[in-house]
Amino acid sequence: MLTQSGPGQAADVDLANCEREPIRIPGSIQPHGVLLVLDPASHVVLQASDNASRLLMDGRVDPLGKPLAQLLSESIVRTLVPRFDKVPSNAHPLFLHTVNVGDRDFDVVGHRSEAGLILELETVTPDSTNSSSDLHLEFDIFSQQAEAVTSVPELCQQMAKTVRRITGFDRVLVYQFDDQWNGMVVGEDGNGRLPTYLHHRFPASDIPAQARELYRLNRIRIIPDAGYQPVPVLPPKTPGRDRVLDLTYSTLRSVSPIHVEYMRNMETMSSMSISILRAGKLWGLISCHHHEPRMAAVAQRTTCDLIARAFALRLSAVEQAGRYERRIAVRSTYSKLLAAMADQGDYIAVLAENSADVLAAAAAEGVAVLTEESCTMFGKTPAENEVRELADWLFRTVKQDVFSTDSLSLVKPDSAQLAGIASGLIAVSVSKLHPSYVMWFRPEVVQTIQWGGDPHKPVTTEDGQVRLHPRKSFETWKETVREKSLPWEDSEIEIATDLRNAIVGIVLRRAEELAELNDELTRSNKELEAFSYSVSHDLRAPLRHIVGYAEMLRESLGERLDAKGDRCIGIIIESCEYAGKLVDKLLSYSRLGRSELQWSQIDLPMLVEEVRKDVMRDASGRTITWKIGKLPCVTGDLMMLRMAVRDLLANAVKYTRRRDEAVIEMDCRDDGDAWIFFVKDNGVGFDMKYTDKLFGVFQRLHRWEDYEGTGIGLANVRRVIERHGGRTWAEGQEGVGATFFFSLPKPPKSEKEG
Amino acid sequence: MLKPILLIEDNPKDLELTLLALDKSNLANEVVTMRDGAEALDYLFRQGAYRDRTPGNPAVVLLDLKLPKVDGIQVLERIKADESLQAVPVVMLTTSREEKDLVHSYQLGVNAYVVKPVAFKEFIQAIQDLGIFWAVLNEPPPGSIKPEKRS
Repeated sequence: MLTQSGPGQAADVDLANCEREPIRIPGSIQPHGVLLVLDPASHVVLQASDNASRLLMDGRVDPLGKPLAQLLSESIVRTLVPRFDKVPSNAHPLFLHTVNVGDRDFDVVGHRSEAGLILELETVTPDSTNSSSDLHLEFDIFSQQAEAVTSVPELCQQMAKTVRRITGFDRVLVYQFDDQWNGMVVGEDGNGRLPTYLHHRFPASDIPAQARELYRLNRIRIIPDAGYQPVPVLPPKTPGRDRVLDLTYSTLRSVSPIHVEYMRNMETMSSMSISILRAGKLWGLISCHHHEPRMAAVAQRTTCDLIARAFALRLSAVEQAGRYERRIAVRSTYSKLLAAMADQGDYIAVLAENSADVLAAAAAEGVAVLTEESCTMFGKTPAENEVRELADWLFRTVKQDVFSTDSLSLVKPDSAQLAGIASGLIAVSVSKLHPSYVMWFRPEVVQTIQWGGDPHKPVTTEDGQVRLHPRKSFETWKETVREKSLPWEDSEIEIATDLRNAIVGIVLRRAEELAELNDELTRSNKELEAFSYSVSHDLRAPLRHIVGYAEMLRESLGERLDAKGDRCIGIIIESCEYAGKLVDKLLSYSRLGRSELQWSQIDLPMLVEEVRKDVMRDASGRTITWKIGKLPCVTGDLMMLRMAVRDLLANAVKYTRRRDEAVIEMDCRDDGDAWIFFVKDNGVGFDMKYTDKLFGVFQRLHRWEDYEGTGIGLANVRRVIERHGGRTWAEGQEGVGATFFFSLPKPPKSEKEG
Repeated sequence: MLKPILLIEDNPKDLELTLLALDKSNLANEVVTMRDGAEALDYLFRQGAYRDRTPGNPAVVLLDLKLPKVDGIQVLERIKADESLQAVPVVMLTTSREEKDLVHSYQLGVNAYVVKPVAFKEFIQAIQDLGIFWAVLNEPPPGSIKPEKRS
């Protein structure tokens, strides 16, 4: 299995070596032309390639120090000089003219550098020319074809064909760099004389960083004959300057001996490459090879360069067209989810309800929605604890709003066992405070990659010294890549990002709504308090007045009041007093819910005994058998619990009124985390179907004349017990008796005890 | 001459009932009635309409909590802040059971607090207990006064 460090290691070595490779200042050129460095003002020759005298002047004169006109004819110079103005500085050379000197034709190109005006005169060979109309036609055809294609591979193929037609090389490759600068052949056209490399990969070390930078700056490079003898430029340093001539933009520049060796190993004697730049960045190369030496003229190369540029422009459009439809589909899913989330507010529920869409949006196999409290998962995901562990890692180590990888184990080696489910991961963070994430998972896809030769062996050592050697073998070398998912597309990462923003927005909105709700609650609580206050004042006062005046009436009528009148006044007074009691009870019930609990240790046996004595005062003359079990001490609010116990015991006393032998029992059992208490009587009991009503406010199950009461006692009990974190329930049978239960949670044990 | 009882009550019905209750306790003390807090302060501090009244503090002040203009709590505050008045016992009469009123009144040094019961007989009993206690003992020992609270 390939480890990612393989080619990377080699890349480190090649970089170190590469820096020692003087590829921009080789001090020599290839022999298929002449290089002259002219003084920009006087056009006197400052430097010249060693072949200048031989090629231009039959070896008669040393060109150094001579004006240009002495090397070329006056008429040629007159033709060239007006064009010098257009010659660019530190950029790709400009084609100036084809000139005839002696019996040779030369294509003249020029550019400027710090050293001066650099003219390169390339010898023209008859087989390397096309008529300019042919070239225009080729370009025209390519443009039209490029407009029609809909896929990138098709476009690459088209370009390879066109370039081969123009140049006549045996094989033309379209070579694309990946993120790690490994190359992959994505288009190829050939005549079969050279092996095919379509879909093969070449390690990044094949084209070192410095070479790539040179490709970026100087888009066209040609080596017509790998067996050439370099021609030195003399003198090596430009007069008056302390530096060897910089040939970055030169077309004749002599190339690295390593590259020549590489070509020979590939059994290609000539090569040409055209850089494909996209937004200023090296996207790839058109790489042409021929078994024998071969030349492509300036015009051909320029046309190929134009084609490469048209290709780059078209590339974005084709790529986008390919993604466009998918993007539309994804967008519509997104809109749907967004609408649902805006509507419902609960993003987790919305994602879960639309799980198929959420999966499809990022073409994922599994999704996990993780918050502090919950973990919702659908599709194929790791287990919850693994997802949580992953979230913690993202939260503590990655710290990115949006994180994506197609090889999780590469960044998080201990996740290798998840590869089958989660080699690919997009994780979006929805909280800055907690590890809350939405994660999309993609499984491992085992891929076989064909390399153009074993990428692990570009380095050889000689005499203990690491030296860069190009690979000797380009036999297809297959490797299996594991723990890697299909790569995430930009649009998928984009949709995840958008969803994140929507969720964060919704979470924020919910927080605001909660705050608002809280405000409202506080307000309504205050209102309730004000209401209680006004009820206690304003409602009690008239009741009091009715009672007071009724008493006065009774008094002032005195003897004149007959039995009927007296009874009426009695009922008026009684009713008002009852109404007053109701108001008081209602208020105390509402206070029970509002006031803070005063926690203390309560001696329950003592409290029960007190209450028992108290309630017995209202039951004097009755025979009641009390069976009080062994009760524990509990923690709670004394006043409240006293009230609850009182209500329960008073109820028991009240509803056993008609029994000659009333039996009231109170006991408890230990239920682990809580005590369960019960008060059991053999009174009138109740029908179990009304059990729900028992604990409601003002709920009564008996006729008024049978059993008096406000119907708030058990509601109070329930409220008190609930405020203590316990529960209340009842069992009963009509005519047999009733049992009321309540639980009280035990306080958490201190560590010493535990 | 017995000191008067100062009754401050805005509600005419409560006033009548309270007077009846006081009447039933057979007290010899005169009952002076004021209908709002401002008037009560004028009387107590001998100002405004009461600038020329005979000097002397009441035996006891029966003070309703909710009063127009200046409410009962404010009247209580003024009494307890005044050197010559602070020894006068003040009984708060109110319909309210709201604990914050109660707590606030005690903080201000109220001597007793009566929640007027709906049952008139209980009210009479409460008033009688208070009336007798305060009116008979002309000089109650300050700080040791804890009349039984009835409700």
